[in-house]
This record gives sequence, structure tokens and C-alpha cells, in this order.
Amino acid sequence: MTIPTITNPSFNETFYASLQTPPTGERVRTCLQCGMCSGVCPFGYVMDFPPGRMIAALRSEIFDRVMKSDTVWMCVACYACTEVCPSGIPLTEKLMARAKEELILSGAVPAELQLALENSQRYGNVLGQSPRKRADWTKGIQATVPVFGKEKKSAEVLWYVGDYASYHPRVQTTSRAFAQVLNALGVDFAILGSDESGDGDSQRLAGERGLFEVLAAKNAQAFRKYKFGEIITTDPHAFNAIKNVYPTLGISFPVRHYTQFLAERLEQLKPLLKQPVNGKITFHDPCYLGRANNIYDEPRALLQAIPGAELVEMSHSGKTSLCCGGGGGGMWLEGFQWEKAHTRTSEWRVREAIASGATTLAVACPYEPPRFEDAVKTVREASGMEVRDVIELLVESMEQ
Amino acid sequence: MGEKIGVYVCHCGSNIAGVVDVAGVAKWAEENLPNVRVARDYKFMCSSLGQEMIEKDIKDLGLTRVVVAACSPHLHEATFRNACKRAGLNPYLFEMVSIREQVSWVTKDKAIATEKAKALIAGGVKRVVYHQPLEPLFVDINPNVLVVGGGIAGIQAALEIADQGSHVYLVEREPSIGGHMAQFDKTFPTLDCAACILTPKMFTAGNHPNITLLTWSEVEKVDGFIGNFTVQIRQKARKVTAEKCTGCGVCEEKCPKKVIDTVFEAGMGTRKAIYTPFPQAVPKYPVIDVENCIYYQRGTCKACEKFCPTGAIDFDQKDEMMTVQVGNVILATGYELFDARRIPQYGYGRLANVVTNLEFERLSNTAGPTNGKIVLRDGVTAPQTVGIIHCVGSRDIKYNVDCSAICCMQSLKFAHLVKEKTGAKVYNFYIDIRTPGKTYDEFYRRILDEGVHFVRGKVAEVTDAPRFPGEEGKLIIQVEDTLAGRQLRVPVDMVVLSAAMQPRVDSKQVGQKFGISCSANGWFIERHPKLDPVATMTEGIFIAGVCQGPKDIPATVSQGAAAAARVLGLIGRKQVTLEPVRASINADQCSGCRICNNLCPFNAITFIEDRAVSDINPALCQGCGTCVSACPAGAITGSHFTNQQIMAQIEGVLLNFGNGHEPAEKLEQVPA
Ligand SMILES: Cc1cc2nc3c(=O)[nH]c(=O)nc-3n(C[C@H](O)[C@H](O)[C@H](O)COP(=O)(O)OP(=O)(O)OC[C@H]3O[C@@H](n4cnc5c(N)ncnc54)[C@H](O)[C@@H]3O)c2cc1C
Ligand code: SF4
Ligand code: SF4
Ligand code: SF4
Ligand code: SF4
Repeated sequence: MTIPTITNPSFNETFYASLQTPPTGERVRTCLQCGMCSGVCPFGYVMDFPPGRMIAALRSEIFDRVMKSDTVWMCVACYACTEVCPSGIPLTEKLMARAKEELILSGAVPAELQLALENSQRYGNVLGQSPRKRADWTKGIQATVPVFGKEKKSAEVLWYVGDYASYHPRVQTTSRAFAQVLNALGVDFAILGSDESGDGDSQRLAGERGLFEVLAAKNAQAFRKYKFGEIITTDPHAFNAIKNVYPTLGISFPVRHYTQFLAERLEQLKPLLKQPVNGKITFHDPCYLGRANNIYDEPRALLQAIPGAELVEMSHSGKTSLCCGGGGGGMWLEGFQWEKAHTRTSEWRVREAIASGATTLAVACPYEPPRFEDAVKTVREASGMEVRDVIELLVESMEQ
Repeated sequence: MGEKIGVYVCHCGSNIAGVVDVAGVAKWAEENLPNVRVARDYKFMCSSLGQEMIEKDIKDLGLTRVVVAACSPHLHEATFRNACKRAGLNPYLFEMVSIREQVSWVTKDKAIATEKAKALIAGGVKRVVYHQPLEPLFVDINPNVLVVGGGIAGIQAALEIADQGSHVYLVEREPSIGGHMAQFDKTFPTLDCAACILTPKMFTAGNHPNITLLTWSEVEKVDGFIGNFTVQIRQKARKVTAEKCTGCGVCEEKCPKKVIDTVFEAGMGTRKAIYTPFPQAVPKYPVIDVENCIYYQRGTCKACEKFCPTGAIDFDQKDEMMTVQVGNVILATGYELFDARRIPQYGYGRLANVVTNLEFERLSNTAGPTNGKIVLRDGVTAPQTVGIIHCVGSRDIKYNVDCSAICCMQSLKFAHLVKEKTGAKVYNFYIDIRTPGKTYDEFYRRILDEGVHFVRGKVAEVTDAPRFPGEEGKLIIQVEDTLAGRQLRVPVDMVVLSAAMQPRVDSKQVGQKFGISCSANGWFIERHPKLDPVATMTEGIFIAGVCQGPKDIPATVSQGAAAAARVLGLIGRKQVTLEPVRASINADQCSGCRICNNLCPFNAITFIEDRAVSDINPALCQGCGTCVSACPAGAITGSHFTNQQIMAQIEGVLLNFGNGHEPAEKLEQVPA
């Protein structure tokens, strides 16, 4: 008879094993230690353990050292590392998110992030606003924005608005612009109003998978109450969650980003674009539209349809776009990240926009207008640079 | 039936015996399977002792059939057939059962593996009873050889064969032979000039009495089989009559139309609309590039014709088709370079001073567009700092998973050339330095000694967006120095991308034309990766050089010579034996429906009008079985794959099911 040995897998072992889930997780074993991930990471230079080194730590069984360092919170889930990894390892989704998850479990969470997560938990939105006021942005505006409810049970399009687009004063402008365009195109749509909750994607990539699942379930409940053809959103994070992650929870609805939706209706839209928008425009590819979902052409097609618009590209564009710094919890780690880096990627980005010769920086994600507008204020050479969501530029061109 | 069958179960060291209970299987076969006279297991059946064991049993026990359960027929069917033959048994009365590839290598569970081995062996035993003695077919070998691709691999192969007295048709798609090597400046590790060692070979190939050089040509169609291929070749119209042209070059000089040369000069230089790609080109006759020629675009010009002293220009020349008969074919179609634009992080195509390795070769070449001066795109400024990036498009599952095999050595060569010619500071960025081979590591040490900076890390990006003082106006290389564990930003003036060698875009189509296959990534597949690297699964078709996989010039030349040796061996035999596994039509049963006629991929079936039946030419038939299964009258039989044989084999495989032998619940667990 053999005596059974009780093996006690170390934290290192269990963590490593937890990454290796199919279909792509097991690729972590094939890391070449080439360092391309660490090199391309916007904050790799301040991380004690950028992705590649994290894998090296796993291999030499010293992952506890990674857990003792707080620099994992510098990850803004921008997918730059995932994009370049020659072994195709899902670094952003698996390695980085799992490491943050462990930090959250052990309570090592920066206070500002903690607050944001608590807000999401308590109010269903990260800004800590009253859920009842979710549709307040529609009040007193010209455009009509129907809300699903007793009177309206079905529509062609369910517009998923999202936290920032509902509550943030700067981003509300974008929402109003989108409403105007939907009206002008005669689209049959409705929003969920107070039935809507945050999409949870950034919380997930900040390591709060549980919270993400709760929010997803709440949204699923709301979606299932009404009849609609598809979901459209102005928020690439929500788009990513509903398109790629909700289905893994059994929540499957067709979803598109508004740039796809409008690019399809370009012929209908073009005659409405009458006012020239002068000056050069450069487009910042949001990480969750570009690298995470490979949508690069549609927003550019919309911009090019604007009379007078001249599109120029920044040094980092398309697949190499530089993160605004807001993803994966970055939105709620402003202070922490400033402490570590004393610089912000949004400032680098604004400098690139100036170097491209553009006077307008076009964006397509609700995180971006506030971030870039802040950066415009701090970068001296940038004064006068306009930050506009693509939809806002379309509306400017539509106005009489 | 009264057959006496010998069953031999191989251990293959521990390859099979580690998983299958070989002794148990042999014992079971002897006790349970019909007609089995003897069953044995042995450590290595393919060894001479193993083979002798079979031969002895045939003689002593009067075996009439033999079954060997071992590796795959691919590897050792011929070995055991020969053993049977030596002992006086017709080799086709033998059956091989694969219990390594199909059992022990793919099944971990010992009990299941053992049961599966039994089932397969039972199939073999049941089948072999119905085997019929067959006699091999003999065909003559046409001593002419076709070589496709005139790079160093094709040139080497052609010369070896031609020197032995056989005739070679050397088909090259470009206007000149030479391939990539002709574009290079120096070659590692000895740094001798590429042209100096290549040109004499090109010249010899171009003037060899036994070589018909067909440049600006492509193979259109191939019919036939080993020994007797019929090949149709398209000779594209050069618009220059070879017999009249003296290669004086006046036409080129007078031609008013300049074109950027994207092939030979890799976009770094220009040529004319009428051109020879480089001064030492073989043959020396130019071609007119009709897409760019002013006469073909606008109907006037003809400057070349006016100045040509021998009247060699012929604007009406048409493509010509020629048909040649050859016995063997060597494919040496080489590679192309990875398109570095696919990695936008490196800025190639957007940032002027990011160049590829091939562009660098042209820059560094004294016969190149800058006369060998290494300068920036402005054509005058010498770089003060140069970054060389290894592994561009190789070792990456998104592009080419393999190592390019030469890019480390080539990058080291570049580092040396930059230092020698410009005195610039040079950085090499690498994942791993791979310098296997005679004197290669010595070369690495030499470059280290020369003071080149080595940074271990795959470059993350090359950008023109400055972030820190001192970066303005430079190309900034951002990289994690994985040894020091820190991120670096290195400002440089020029970046050289060591782009991967990758299969030709048309490699799959070319392979299909010659009936050979490509690996998933597009390299031609050799018959055996270790033991038969230049043969293919199609008899009479050989491969050499980089078309088989990334390699350097010495390895390419070795393969060219090896392929030639294989072909010369066959020519020397004058005849080859072909597998007698062929289809035949029973004329009495054939209804003359002609369904099979067009199905045969080898055009082996003809219709005999007066008797209104179809008939198969056994020399052309490859025994693929397509017609056998298609014939609605069941008139076609594939020898060695008769219905009876196949049904008996299936019956044998299923023998054990449902009679209590098998661990049924276990078998059901095997995933589909
Ligand atoms: C930048 C660079 C530098 C290098 N430097 C060195 C070095 O210093 N030392 C060294 O040992 N190795 C070096 N190499 C490797 C070297 O290039 C190869 O080992 C060698 O050239 C391979 O020769 P080949 O004949 O197989 O292929 P190729 O040179 O590619 O020749 C193939 C030929 O076939 C022709 N062809 C292709 N398809 C067809 C078709 N369907 N029909 C007719 N013709 C066709 C092509 O036009 C070409 O002429 C270097 C490689 C690169 C990329
Ligand atoms: S996702 Fe972006 S921020 Fe996070 S580790 Fe990867 S490159 Fe760095
Ligand atoms: S890029 Fe991929 S292979 Fe390279 S070190 Fe990072 S995880 Fe490993
Ligand atoms: S006819 Fe064509 S090839 Fe001849 S000189 Fe004019 S442009 Fe050149
Ligand atoms: S088996 Fe039939 S189809 Fe196949 S090669 Fe022979 S004749 Fe042609």
C-alpha cells in the first residue's frame, strides 16, 4: 500500500493554474519571455512586474512578490500587450485581471478604486448617483428620447446609455448629440432609464468579476422585459461587455457601437451634413473599439463624411493607439497613478494630437472627453485643441 | 482457408511497450485469432534480428501470411515486405498494423490501448487472408530533369545533374537566375561578397550544354508520374529576340522610362522599362516590362528599337508554350520576405528610416543604388545610431511561428557592416541569439568584441513621438531590456527590421500543380523531416532550399546537391518499380456510363469506343481509389484494397465488441 501524500498547492501554483483555462489561457505556458508586452505597456516602466515579468515570477514561484507590489494597479487594461504578444497570451483579460482580483480579495485596493466599486455595488453606477435620475439628462432637451416602460414595450433599437453618458455632465452632451442624430434619421429607439445599470466591464478588468456578474444580471433582466432588434451604445466598454462577455453568462443580444450603426447609414446621413467643420481632425482609437474589437474604419468613415474635415493620423493610431488611461479601473485610479508616474497618458496623447497638426481631437468613448479636456488644460502647447466625440462633430455639421 | 499467419508485435523500445501490453497482445492473438500459426513480440521488429525472426518462421513454419503490428506503414512497410520477399513469400501477402501512431502515441490509458491494439491486429489478421500475390510494375525513367526556381538551390541542383550528363530544364520566373542571394552584399559568416561566389555558378548554369535555361518562364501544367512527366512551360514574351541580342545594354540606356525596382532593388533603386535586373544577370538579354513601357501604354516611343544595333527588339513577340518530357522534378522556389507593414508597431512604410533587411542589403551593396553607402532615405546623411530588430514576423503565432533560422546571423552581419562602414553606434535587439553551426558562434563573439550593444528584448515599438528630452527628431525604439528588467527608450537614426523568410504566396498552388503538399504555414512538406528531407510524398518530385523551410546558404546548397543526388540515383537505375496497387475494370461488368472517366485525378481512364467500356492505364493509375468507389456498376476493383479485404478488416476490428472481451464502459469513455 502506498501512503497518500497530501499536497498543498502553493498560491503560486493555484494562481498559475487558474490562468490556464481554454481556449487560450493555456498559452501562458508558451511565453517566450521576449518582453514585448512589458515594453509596449504605457506604464510598463513604473511597474515592478509588467506582464512578462509577472510570468517569469510565476515560473520561478515567487508570485507572492508580485502580490506585495501595488504596481499592478498601473494597468489600464488597454490591450496593447495582448495585441503584440507573439504567443497570443490573453494578458489583459486573464493575467492582469486575475492579479487585480487577488489584490482585491486580499484587500489591497487603493481607496479611490474601492469607492468606485462600492458605488457600482450600491447604486448600480460608478458615479454614486441616484439610479432614479439615470434618464434625467433627457429632460429639457429638444430631441425626444423615449424610455422603455409601460407605454413603450418595443423598439427597433435599444440604446444602452451607460454610466458616464448618463451622469457625467461633459458626456451628457455626447448623449444629447446622439439623440439628435437618431431623431434626424428617424430611428425607432428607446432607452432603459432607471432600469439600466452600469455595464461592469471596467470593474471586471479592475478585478471585480463578481460585481460585473451582478451588474450583467441586472441588465439582462432589463433587456428581457422589452422587445427590440438590437442594442446600440456610444460606450465601447459596454459594447465590449455585451458583445464578448455577457454571452459567456448566457446573456446574448446583438449589439453594435454607434459608429458601426451610423456608418451603415452613411448614405442617409450624408445629405444632413451641411455645415463644414474646419481644421484638421485626428481620431483617437478607443482601446475597446480598436484593439479589443477591431473597429477602426467606421469612425473614420463618419469623420470623412463631414464637409471640410481633413483627417490626419497621430503617431500612434489604429492598432497602436495609445490608451487615454481610463480603462481597467484607470478612471478611478487618477490619484494613485499620478503618484506613481507623475504623468498621464492622456497628456502624451494630446501632445501627439498637436504634433499631427490637428486642431480637433475626435474620440468615440465616454471616458475620453473629460480625460483629454483635462490634459488639454495641463499641456501648455495644447491650448485651443478641441476634444469632440465623433457624434458631436456630426451634429455640429448638421446644425443650420 | 488453411492459411498460416505469423503475427509480430513490436515493442518499439518503450514507444509501444510503455503503453500496450505487447506480450499479452501477442499471446492473445495466438490463442484467439483464426489462422494464426505463431505470434511473437520483440523489442525492435525492424532490426535485423527482428526481420530474421520473420524470415526464419516463414521458412520453418511454412507461414503463408505475415502481419506486423508496429509503427506506421509509412516508415517500415517496405522493410517487412522485403523480409517476406527474402524468405520467398510474395511481399503483398504481408499486412502492417500501426499500433504506435494509432495507439500508443495517442492513448494514455494502458487497458484501452491494449484493447485497441488487439482490435487493429484482429483487423489485420482477417484482412491478410484475402491478400493476393502482386507483382511490381516497372517503368523507364526519362533522364531529363526539370528544376523549378533558379536561386542558389536550383542552380546547384541543375549544375550537379548537368555535370553528370543528364539534361536539365531550369525554369525561372524572373528575367535572371540568382534568386535572393544575387541581391546580397556580403554573406555570413565569412563575409565574402555574394556576387563573387554566385556569379561564376550563374554563368556556368547559363552556358552549360546540358542546361536549357528558361527564364521569364513558368510551369503551367504537369502530367504523368515518376519517370515520365510531361510539363508545359510558358515562356513569357521578352519582346527581345534572344538570338539577335548581344546584351550591349544600349536599349536600357536609351529607354526614357524609369521604374522603381521593387523586386531586385527592393524598392531602393530604379530600373528602366526595358531591363536586365542587374549587370551580371544570366541570361544577359533584357525584357520589356509591358506594364510600364511607354510604347505599350501610348503607342509611341520605340527608342529601344531605334537604338538597338542588331534589331533585337520585337514588340510583337508573343508568349510561347513549350512541352518537355522529364523523369524527375526538383522544386527550388525559395521564399519571400515577410511584409513588415503587418506589424504597425514598427512603423515600416510610415517612418522613412525604418528599412527592411532586404533594403539594407541593397543599401550596403557596392553595386546598389547608393554604391554601398549606408545612408538615410535622404540619400546623404550617414546614421549615427542604428537599431537592428531581430525576429520581425517570425516566432510569432500571428505571422510565422517558426524561427527564420538566418535572421540572427544576418543581423549580426548587418551590425558589423554598419560599424565598419559608418562607425555608427549599433544596437541589436533580440529574443534569443541563435548561432548554431560551424564558426557561427565565433562570428557572434567577433561582433560582441566589436562593441555592438546587445539588448535582450523583443522591440515593442518604433515611434516618432517624443516623450523625453533628446528624443525629438529621432526614431525611438521602446523595448523592455529583459535582462536588466527595465524599459528602455533608445533614440536612433535608422532602424533595420530583420523580416522573416516566409513561404511564397503561391506555394500552395505550385505544390498542387506538382501534386505535393504544404505544411499549414506553407512550406513544402518533405517525405521525412529527418531521414528524407529532400524527397516528397510524390515519387519523382523533390524539393531543395528554403521552399522546404528556412535555412541559410550552406544548408540550401547542401539540399540542392542532395536533391540532385537523389535524382541521379534514380536516373542511374534506369527503371523504377511502382507499387502494383492499381485499379482495374472488369469489362464484362462495365456499363460504359463513363462516370469514372473524368473523376480520375491522374487521367488514367480512357473510354474504348468500339467496345463501349472504360479502361485503366496501370502506368498512370496511382491507386487512389476514387473510381472504385464511384462506379455505379461496381465494375472497378482496386487491387490490395478489394471490398473483401476491407470488409474482412472491419469485421476483425469489430471482432471483440459485444462478446464480453472489452472493458465496454471504458471504451465508451473515449472521446469521439
Ligand atoms: C536579408 C537576408 C540576408 C541573408 N544573408 C545570408 C547570408 O549572409 N548568408 C547565408 O548563408 N544566408 C543568407 N540568407 C539566406 C539566403 O537568402 C537563403 O538561404 C538562400 O538565398 C535560399 O536560396 P533558394 O534558392 O532556396 O531561394 P531563393 O533565393 O528565393 O530562390 C528561389 C528562386 O525561384 C524563383 N521562383 C519562385 N517561384 C517560382 C516559380 N513558381 N516558377 C519559377 N521560378 C520560381 C524565384 O524567382 C527565385 O529566383 C539571407 C536571407 C535574407 C532574407
Ligand atoms: S493591458 Fe495595457 S496597461 Fe495593462 S499590462 Fe497590458 S499594456 Fe499594460
Ligand atoms: S509578449 Fe507574450 S511571450 Fe513575450 S514576454 Fe510578454 S507574455 Fe511572454
Ligand atoms: S519602347 Fe518601352 S522599353 Fe523601349 S525605350 Fe520606349 S519605354 Fe523603354
Ligand atoms: S484508382 Fe482510379 S481514379 Fe485513382 S488513379 Fe487509378 S484509375 Fe485514376
